[in-house]
Amino acid sequence: MDAVIYLSLGVMLVAGVMAVMLPSMTKSAIALAVASAALGMILYELGGIWAALFEISVCSGLVTVILISAISLSNIDKEELPKVYEDKKRMALLPYVLIAGGVMLVAVALWAGFTLPVADQAANLGTYLRGILWNNRQVDIWGQIIVLLTGAVAVVVLFRERD
Amino acid sequence: MPILDYITVSFLVIPLIILVLNNLFSKQFVERINFKLVGVVAILQMALAVAGFSLLSAAHWEDYRFSLLWDWTMEEAGYFAVNSLSLVFLFCIGFVLLVAVLVAKATVEQRKTAFVNLVLTLLLGMNGMVMVRDLFSLYVFLEIVGISSFVLVALFQLETGLEGAFKYLVMSSLATVFILTGLAFVFMQTGSLQYAQAWADWLSVQGTAQLYTYLAFILLISGFALKTGVVPFHSWLPDAHQSANTAVSILLSGIVIKVAGIYGFIVLTKLFPGFPPVALALRILGLLSIVVGALFALRQTHFKRLVAYSSVSQMGYILLGLSSGTTLGFLGAMVHIFNHATFKSTLFTNAAALSAQAGTLELGELGGLEKKMPVTGFSSITAFLSTAGIPPLAGFWSKLLIIMALWKSEAEGFAAVALLASILTAAYFLRLQKKVFFGQLPEKFGAVTEIGGSVKFAELMLSAVNIAVGVGFPLILLFFEGRGLL
Amino acid sequence: MWFCLGSVINLPGFGWEIMMLIIGFLLIIAGAYCIIRTYHLLKIIIGMEIAMKAVTLLIILAGLVNGNLALAQSFVITIIVIEVVVAVVAAGIAVSLYKKYGSMEIRNLRKLKG
Repeated sequence: MDAVIYLSLGVMLVAGVMAVMLPSMTKSAIALAVASAALGMILYELGGIWAALFEISVCSGLVTVILISAISLSNIDKEELPKVYEDKKRMALLPYVLIAGGVMLVAVALWAGFTLPVADQAANLGTYLRGILWNNRQVDIWGQIIVLLTGAVAVVVLFRERD
Repeated sequence: MPILDYITVSFLVIPLIILVLNNLFSKQFVERINFKLVGVVAILQMALAVAGFSLLSAAHWEDYRFSLLWDWTMEEAGYFAVNSLSLVFLFCIGFVLLVAVLVAKATVEQRKTAFVNLVLTLLLGMNGMVMVRDLFSLYVFLEIVGISSFVLVALFQLETGLEGAFKYLVMSSLATVFILTGLAFVFMQTGSLQYAQAWADWLSVQGTAQLYTYLAFILLISGFALKTGVVPFHSWLPDAHQSANTAVSILLSGIVIKVAGIYGFIVLTKLFPGFPPVALALRILGLLSIVVGALFALRQTHFKRLVAYSSVSQMGYILLGLSSGTTLGFLGAMVHIFNHATFKSTLFTNAAALSAQAGTLELGELGGLEKKMPVTGFSSITAFLSTAGIPPLAGFWSKLLIIMALWKSEAEGFAAVALLASILTAAYFLRLQKKVFFGQLPEKFGAVTEIGGSVKFAELMLSAVNIAVGVGFPLILLFFEGRGLL
Repeated sequence: MWFCLGSVINLPGFGWEIMMLIIGFLLIIAGAYCIIRTYHLLKIIIGMEIAMKAVTLLIILAGLVNGNLALAQSFVITIIVIEVVVAVVAAGIAVSLYKKYGSMEIRNLRKLKG
């Protein structure tokens, strides 16, 4: 189990950095989907089955679809793309920033001897997600309903042709 | 008390019903009545807030819990709740909404249905934000406020509006990342995000885990600072507030930055009273905002942009009031929230009048309009005097309370700078008055007349409120004293 | 083979929990860097999404640490719903801007200054 988590974490980091650095927008969106899928894998391994399902279907699926359709709407010449947006040049520093940040964080963690003891989930095994979501988080459910309403209104407003 | 149940539930149910009605019937029919309906919602909200406030204080209750269609008495169930703080906020929301609708009648000509839909979701989000009792639910409703605001700014799909909306969206999503990361660390250590949970335990954490505490504070404070638009997180605010329709600017500047940002700070300071780093951070942010916001406002050439920078500056006073950690400072901040809602709405209403009658908001092109637009000029002057803190107008009292609170909590330096910064406020508003209302009247404005209808009514109403609160403030002080708050 | 990999990376006193924390931070940095540096409107949305992924990771980690994973899971589901709506709104605004200017360049956005 640990190995899968390590692997997924690695994939997530690499795919995330690639999503930022790749000059092609389509590839970048796909890299984002891969990062999202890796996150779904981690969630699944850690026991968050429903969250994993949502992450993979909604984030990895729906967001990629939205991004790809937005990209295809705005198709400019493939040769022109890297020149106009200069992504290669603008993003060149990111790996160094991340390596420096990573080394620093690892050093701090080792030096301070950080531990994050993972608690036993047994105490809460009885409370299934459905119970939590419907019995404890009703406020959030109402919030979600209103968010979706707002989203529907927003889509109607933003994607309507000029009247 | 079942009547309080009806009152509290209606803060969420009435906007939902109007939202459904607004989309149920044909567009022609709806567009004739929907602005009036929103106006009624706003007035109703103010009345209900007052009624709820009196009932709550008559019963001497700390807060009143309620729910929508579920049983909150169940074990560990979530719930909404109102206390006097949320009722004050609900009143302010209703007040600003009323002004915005009055102005929108003149400024919003197309897409009325969409405008009303978004205003109602914005209202739902803000009402929800002040009534939830859980940090995560606070975030959920914060996002509703955010999404509605972005789309309202972008509503008419003009280049400027879209640009302002995109900048606002990017900064807001950064704020979301900060707030959620902060919440993750809070959640990691407490296992719950409900306000009622014992937070004091969390603050007494020792050792390396304390690092998480400070990290969470830094992240939460920068997140809410981004939402408030205080310096140095202010870059989006003038853009969004300038480019939006003026009715939307009134909502954004008058109440959204306070509910989305300042209310978050209030929750933080209420949850962690007397935690020195929070107070210090608020003080520094507040002072920076006051001075830098005013300096930026001095060199603006666009009416709405100047007023937006003035908002940045005034938010600083509210933060300073909160930072004192005393009841006096808190009262000062609350009164300043209401006063700022009044005078900022006045100024944006003036902007609507000017752009409707004179056709421009560039300060360089305007001038000498005092004779032509007496009501606009007069309300603008009351708002300016109030903002600058000239007695006996409303702004003077709230600034006085804030500065007194700072002085008493041994932050004399901050109090002195806040006092001196009033001169800067007066300076940029004097410049505004001089450029717009005094001086030579350009020839092309020879035929300009005073605005009529709802905008004029809003201007008169706001000036009346401004003066009445200022003159009657001793009575409010007596009320505070009667409740043992001073 | 995977188990070997796991034990190799597993430094003393340094479990996958800390690694998750560090990777979360790094991804937030990557997302923020993307938002700041890019010239492409849609790339900003990708940066936002990357940062939100990292936040999701941190929330689940928090749930693991305090033993309340079910609650963390319900948070994550809510966050995902909101995240998608924000992404749709952002994409809508970006596409509207594209229709105005004919490109997705952020350097077009220069109307508001001062």
